[in-house]
Amino acid sequence: MENELRQLLAEVQARLLGVNVLADLEVVRIEVLGRKGKLAELLKGLAVLDINEKKVIGVVANEVKMGIERAFAEVEDKLSAAAVLAKNESEWLDMTMPGVTPEVGHTHLTTQAIEDITNIFAHLGFVRARHPEVDWDYYAFEAMNMPSDHPARDDWETFFVKGEKGVKGKMVLTPHTSNGQVREMEKGVFPIRMISIGKCFRRQADVRHLPSFYQFEGLVIDKKASVTELKGVCDYFAKSYFGPDRVTRLRPYHFRFTEPSFELDVSCSVCSGTGKVDGVKCKLCKEGWLELGGAGMVHPNVIKAGGLDPDEYSGFAFGWGVERTMMMRAGLNIDDIRILYKNDLRFIRQF
Amino acid sequence: MNNLASYNWLKEYCKTDLSVADFARELSLRSMSVEKVDDVAARFDRIVIGLVNEVRSHPNADKLRLVTVNIGSETVEIVCGGVNVASGMKVCVALPGSKVRWHGEGDYITLGESEIRGVKSIGMICGAGEVGFAELEKGEKEIWDLSFVLAVAGTNLAVALELEDTVFDIEVTTNRPDVMGIVGLAREAAAAVGGQFVGKQPTVITPGTGIPFTVKIENTERCARQMAVVIDDVKVAESPWWLQKRLLLAGVRPINNIVDVTNYVLLEYAQPLHAFDYRNIEGSEIIVRAGKLGEKITALNGKEYDIGGHIVLADAVKPLDIAGIMGGNETGTTEATKTVVLSASSFDATSIRRTARALNLQSDAQLLFEKGLSTEALPIALARAVELILQTAGGIVASAVCDTRVKEYKPLVFPFRPEMARKRIGVEIADERMQRILEELGFVVNRTAEVWQVTVPFWRDHDIEVEVDFSEEIARMYGYHLMTGVLPAGNPPTTQEPVAIIWERFIKRQMAAAGYDEFFTYSFTNVEDVVKYGDDVATPYEILNPLVSEQSHLRISLIPGILRAIEGNQGHTRAAKFFEVSRVYLPTVNDLPIEETHLVFGEYGYTDATSVFRKLRGTLEMLANKTGLEITLSRGDIGDKWHATRSANIIIGGKIVGIIGEVSEKIQQRFGVDLRVFMVMLEVENLFEAMKLTHRYTLSSEFPAIMRDLSVIVDERVEFAAITRELKNDLLTTVALVDVYRGKGVDGGKKSLTLQLTLQATDKTLTAEEANKVIEEVGEVLKTKFGGILRS
Repeated sequence: MENELRQLLAEVQARLLGVNVLADLEVVRIEVLGRKGKLAELLKGLAVLDINEKKVIGVVANEVKMGIERAFAEVEDKLSAAAVLAKNESEWLDMTMPGVTPEVGHTHLTTQAIEDITNIFAHLGFVRARHPEVDWDYYAFEAMNMPSDHPARDDWETFFVKGEKGVKGKMVLTPHTSNGQVREMEKGVFPIRMISIGKCFRRQADVRHLPSFYQFEGLVIDKKASVTELKGVCDYFAKSYFGPDRVTRLRPYHFRFTEPSFELDVSCSVCSGTGKVDGVKCKLCKEGWLELGGAGMVHPNVIKAGGLDPDEYSGFAFGWGVERTMMMRAGLNIDDIRILYKNDLRFIRQF
Repeated sequence: MNNLASYNWLKEYCKTDLSVADFARELSLRSMSVEKVDDVAARFDRIVIGLVNEVRSHPNADKLRLVTVNIGSETVEIVCGGVNVASGMKVCVALPGSKVRWHGEGDYITLGESEIRGVKSIGMICGAGEVGFAELEKGEKEIWDLSFVLAVAGTNLAVALELEDTVFDIEVTTNRPDVMGIVGLAREAAAAVGGQFVGKQPTVITPGTGIPFTVKIENTERCARQMAVVIDDVKVAESPWWLQKRLLLAGVRPINNIVDVTNYVLLEYAQPLHAFDYRNIEGSEIIVRAGKLGEKITALNGKEYDIGGHIVLADAVKPLDIAGIMGGNETGTTEATKTVVLSASSFDATSIRRTARALNLQSDAQLLFEKGLSTEALPIALARAVELILQTAGGIVASAVCDTRVKEYKPLVFPFRPEMARKRIGVEIADERMQRILEELGFVVNRTAEVWQVTVPFWRDHDIEVEVDFSEEIARMYGYHLMTGVLPAGNPPTTQEPVAIIWERFIKRQMAAAGYDEFFTYSFTNVEDVVKYGDDVATPYEILNPLVSEQSHLRISLIPGILRAIEGNQGHTRAAKFFEVSRVYLPTVNDLPIEETHLVFGEYGYTDATSVFRKLRGTLEMLANKTGLEITLSRGDIGDKWHATRSANIIIGGKIVGIIGEVSEKIQQRFGVDLRVFMVMLEVENLFEAMKLTHRYTLSSEFPAIMRDLSVIVDERVEFAAITRELKNDLLTTVALVDVYRGKGVDGGKKSLTLQLTLQATDKTLTAEEANKVIEEVGEVLKTKFGGILRS
């Protein structure tokens, strides 16, 4: 019987060599391992053996059974792997086909910059405010320590709006977001940490200027605001927005509505602040620096216009162009600012 | 204002050993920004003095000559077109490798060896313009006669002409006209870079007696001081080179020694002066008065100006110049002038500014006057000019020093609290340091009390206005770059973001997520667009001084700008989804406009209006759902801006707040758009207050839903909403519109709707029988109430 069992194993192994499809394998499996299959038939002979023989043959029978099952498993593995491969081969895809961009919309580059700026100042507790885009020249100039006919007004190429002169002067398109300073103070809630991002208008249009653009105006009014705090805020913004490798400097300047006044410069991304690219003067910056915009300690006359005592309250303010700031970020590569508002979808969809 | 300042000149008044780069950096950090640094000598590399040996005619060209020139180490032959070249003349020779400008125009080019009409030419004999001094050009074909130069042939031009200098291009802030002068700049620089200011007093004028002369101020509001002095026996001629050179480096054209001296003093002291020819002044008196009605004068630029009401200097019978702006054409000095009247005035800044604007006339003098100049600069500038005229043009002072002023000068004095300055700056700067800084800048400090008294020097009497101005002087000279920034201390504010900002941001994010691209159109509009869009031109606010006529008004609707944007895109992007959230400016009576934020979104370039309408409506409903608003649409009288049967008002809270619809073909075509445009316009400004983020959970049924599709043919104008209103059944949870079909199999005037019915119970699993019953009932309603024909 032992021989017959071992012969069955050899026979099955030989037969399986000729099986090439999974269906045939099933036929052989039933023939050999089925309830009435060859193995079962052989094992019926066990019943007549004595106890010692049973022990010996039982071991052999077990070995043979496992051997047969292993043989089936091997063939099955081989055949199913081949079947999967064949299926995959029939499902070949051209991996060089171009991608289809998901249909997402795009907020405008300026909207994205406004969100970035808002978030950075939010970390420092600055709250967004909203102020008129068409305002009385009182808020744009008078209250900002620029009486009528002051030559400093020339620096703001202002649009005037036709209409009756009101008690607060002529109607203008705000040439800067600073009109929000006294308006914010008039609300009477202190301390102020305002970031007002709004549309401004100036009579100029070229590769660097737009007649309508955005500014972000920061205003802090508190009892102990100082130049060093302003410097801290400028640095925080510049590092957050432009990256930790960019350096800033405050350079003295003059504005009527701040005292002291300065301009904030940020090191140039193109020449890394050296002023030179391959030994040639950098085309983007002045001696390694890019002007971000003006800043300063709020002038006591502006504090007074806001209804406060300048001996008790002090403050600082800054007003920078959103588009200019955004274009100073490394790598944007826009050389004509006017592309921003041409509303060309091919441009808008790139961001 | 920019000051082109020679470093050599500056160093006469400010002792410093700093290198050019260090000086520029330190000055920028503490005072005025140096925008450009120009190494003058570098311009004249390989340009040398040549001595002309011989001039011969060119064998092949009538107008050219062959010139043999000694350039020191050798003698070369150069082809030259200059008409005035002569043997024995010293000339300027640009050798190969040097940089020159052809005919004094355009960019500098590097010179090579060349052959001109068959003759080899080593370098070029230059006109003044060709080496950068266009101001000295006398005639187009004249070369620069340098015979006055002492240097021998072969000497580099920069050495020969003492041009080894640096010119700083410095941006001077408008409050500091004093820094437009070399002396004022030197004073700033000395304090800023740690140099030493060297003050120099010009020689006091010795009054003369030969010619009686007087000055009179009639208009005491607009002129605070007038001075004059007469110098007789001058010899008007070309200025000496050292004087011309300084003017040239500052970009000023030398004219004659008299005019040049007034310009030199302007550059040095930033105080304008004017020189008249004595013969042209009738009555031996300068009168400062307002121009009479209809009075006219021809200015130095040759143009005639109506000076009625504007301030002028005049003699007994006529105006002499437009005060503070420009001299008269017929009263200035010429080569024939023998007697000069030097005049110095102090005018009201606003008056000068108004006149310059009214006459549309600008000058260097006017730009300084309108910033505000001190009355006390006059005697110094006048003395300096007299000193220089006597030195360069000879002559003698022939009159008294005429001087009349409206009121006595009192220096400004302000209190100063050092503690307040320290608090404002945020740095502990010692009292002594503060005092030293102020004194270095010319302030006089009295520290006898806790509150200091600081006297302002005359050259700062227009810009120092309040106590905090001193803190700026101290802070900048201490150095902002040396301060350590800190983040603001104190309590954060308690204010909230305005709802408009919160919802504007929210809407923009939602729109982008829904696949719409954001436009940013200008706030401007114009008459043409307003008319095209069918609005009344009288409605929008008008800009008094528009930059261009396309931007003459403020928009009252976002739509015209958006249609223009579509028109600009249709050539390359044939279909798109767009949106904009921005303000319009609605009219009020004699007040600021109401600035209202509107949302417009839409799609253009589609073929299937049904699906586009459904997408836009779906987006609108999504926005409404997310912000807790309930929207209904209502057809009505919408006007001819919109398609008559494809538009509806959007109603929220019983009010019309917007429109959804297809832009009428008339409007679309007027804006040059050749594709159909479907839009939603929503006056979101009026909804912000009512908006709230809805975070409400509705329980979903745990039991399975059964979905069945049903197609029915109905009349074209059977509304979907009318059908759903009739299909009321507790088990019918939703009726979705899957498809609307017209065409083969459906008669004209009819449409086939495919409805997807979702059946679900909250308490059990529905059986097929229960579902079938509901479907049958639905079919019955469609047949009986809407005359529908069910399709299998």
